[in-house]
Amino acid sequence: MTAVLEVSGLKTHFFTHAGVVKAVDGVDFAVKKGEVMGLVGESGSGKSITGFSILGLIDAPGRIVEGAIRFNGEDIANAPEDRLKSIRGNRISMIFQDPMMTLNPVLRIDSQMMEAILAHEKVSKKVAWERCRDALGLVGIPSPEERLRAYPHQLSGGMRQRVSIAIAFLNKPDLIIADEPTTALDVTIQAQIIHEAQKLTKQTGTAMIWITHDLAVVAGLADRISVMYAGRIVEQGLTDDVIDHPLHPYTVGLLGSVPTANKRGERLFQIEGMTPNMLALPEGCAFAPRCGFASPACKVPPAVEHVADRELRCYHPQSQVAAQ
Amino acid sequence: MTAPLVEIRDVSKRFAKRLDVAGKIAQKLGAGVREEIVHAVDEVNLTINEGEVLGLVGESGCGKSTLGRVVAGIHAPSGGQLLYQGDDVATMSSADKRAATLAIQMIFQDPFASLNPRMRVEDIIGEAPKVHGIVTRSEVADYVDDIMKKVGLDPSLKRRYAHQFSGGQRQRIGIARALAVKPKFLVCDEAIAALDVSIQAQVINLFMDLREEFGLTYLFISHDLSVVEHIADRVAIMYLGRIVESASTEEIFSAPRHPYTRALLAEAPRLDQRKRDFAPIEGEIPSPLAPPDGCFFNPRCPHAQDRCRSDQPQLETFGEAHSVACHYWKDI
Repeated sequence: MTAVLEVSGLKTHFFTHAGVVKAVDGVDFAVKKGEVMGLVGESGSGKSITGFSILGLIDAPGRIVEGAIRFNGEDIANAPEDRLKSIRGNRISMIFQDPMMTLNPVLRIDSQMMEAILAHEKVSKKVAWERCRDALGLVGIPSPEERLRAYPHQLSGGMRQRVSIAIAFLNKPDLIIADEPTTALDVTIQAQIIHEAQKLTKQTGTAMIWITHDLAVVAGLADRISVMYAGRIVEQGLTDDVIDHPLHPYTVGLLGSVPTANKRGERLFQIEGMTPNMLALPEGCAFAPRCGFASPACKVPPAVEHVADRELRCYHPQSQVAAQ
Repeated sequence: MTAPLVEIRDVSKRFAKRLDVAGKIAQKLGAGVREEIVHAVDEVNLTINEGEVLGLVGESGCGKSTLGRVVAGIHAPSGGQLLYQGDDVATMSSADKRAATLAIQMIFQDPFASLNPRMRVEDIIGEAPKVHGIVTRSEVADYVDDIMKKVGLDPSLKRRYAHQFSGGQRQRIGIARALAVKPKFLVCDEAIAALDVSIQAQVINLFMDLREEFGLTYLFISHDLSVVEHIADRVAIMYLGRIVESASTEEIFSAPRHPYTRALLAEAPRLDQRKRDFAPIEGEIPSPLAPPDGCFFNPRCPHAQDRCRSDQPQLETFGEAHSVACHYWKDI
């Protein structure tokens, strides 16, 4: 199966007054048709910037300084704005964390949804309206005709997120980038949203990049997982492999930090220290200062190693689940 | 048996949305405008014994934070009693009341909003013990150093301001501030929700260490079941201002009775469940301004019957202190 999206050597840097922030610093991954990739990382790891880079949404002082983003074979890194406009919202769409920020508060749902169709296709308003109505029905919004006439503030958080998902799927894109789409939502609503996204990707064969800090969410949803730390993917592989047999000490630590039933009442495994300052990254492997296995070799940044179906950046891969 | 450390009896908290001038005029002229009243907390009973960790779980808008604030003395309850070591806080002498209020401290969710940006860390931590005469002026510096070490902060950073710290460190400052007045009881309101996963684990460990060291009692409010499962001895589940189920942590997680608890447990994402089909319960939390008749959960409940739409179920206790508010808990 060919990859819908292939990112290779992507570097997105921000040139600030305080110095160069290498938010994304050499990221490679590919997403196949119908595949869900979980992009996991803590705040500041560059996971969102990776998503924004794909859509060409990086504003000054940031820019893509290196690398290729091949979408259906075409390199869209630093593509002209016109080209990006025809792709954005049409072939690749995005779901953001905060649906109140994505939806225009002074436009009714129907105008914003129809805009997404009419910007890319020559169809009558009636056809566009009908498609919007059906899309709302698909994401589980009751009485979609009425909801189309509503303003965003008249809907609850979960409903608004459903609307943004409906908009993302409107033009049957090849790829959807979902940036922490359920972080702001309650558990029962989160399950509803994941359910809708799961159902729609299955039905339409749309590939999806699900950006999150929550390993438990992607464990139940993704085919593959990529773990990011300080602008680099430190480990990627099939979900079962990564979660059952993490190799990178950071992944091991992250998984160990998740409270689960078998360790009730005991101290959690913790990663010492804090996420590094992106302006003053340590030399070599950025995780080394927090890593229990660091050695002098870690002063040189580890290259990507391919182990079977996995990719890894580490000199000290862990063979068993050290956290248990 | 000694009295529980903290007990709340039939505590309610109502918030009224007052009418503005236009509303008042409309009311005078006979329009059907009324003050809107939200029952944020509705006749809740809880006991927390010394040394225990009670987890309070619910989704946003269920009233768990309001309840936490009532327990911490930030909000006065609209009805019911708050008992500290068996005595009603409302009728205590002022000296006892001060002691009770000092003994119950709160840690907030947002470490960015809950620290004064204009104060140095040493003042944030040292102000309250100085004011309350826990330490003398000359001892404050050493006292602050000592507490900062206990929560894992470097005392040499005490001249800094809150914004110069990371989120996890700021949460530690909040914890240090609460500990500085030697409390017996901490109300932690989503105290780790705003932190990164790796930092969350550090702060959870800190809470557990402090509990051991100081014999603290916690009311641990969270929406995250896995965290509560890890840290709590007992769990109470809240929905729309009421407790729907409470039991020991083992029982809640192994044998949940209330359909809402079951739904919460089934839908919380877990590491050991792969590529599963999420089968969510329908609907959303109803507005607390217009709660449904009968059981508040009935519009979303897969087991709802006629009785659930008219009668509100009361908490029934069975077994070892497992209580559940559902008409049909035996049958489902």
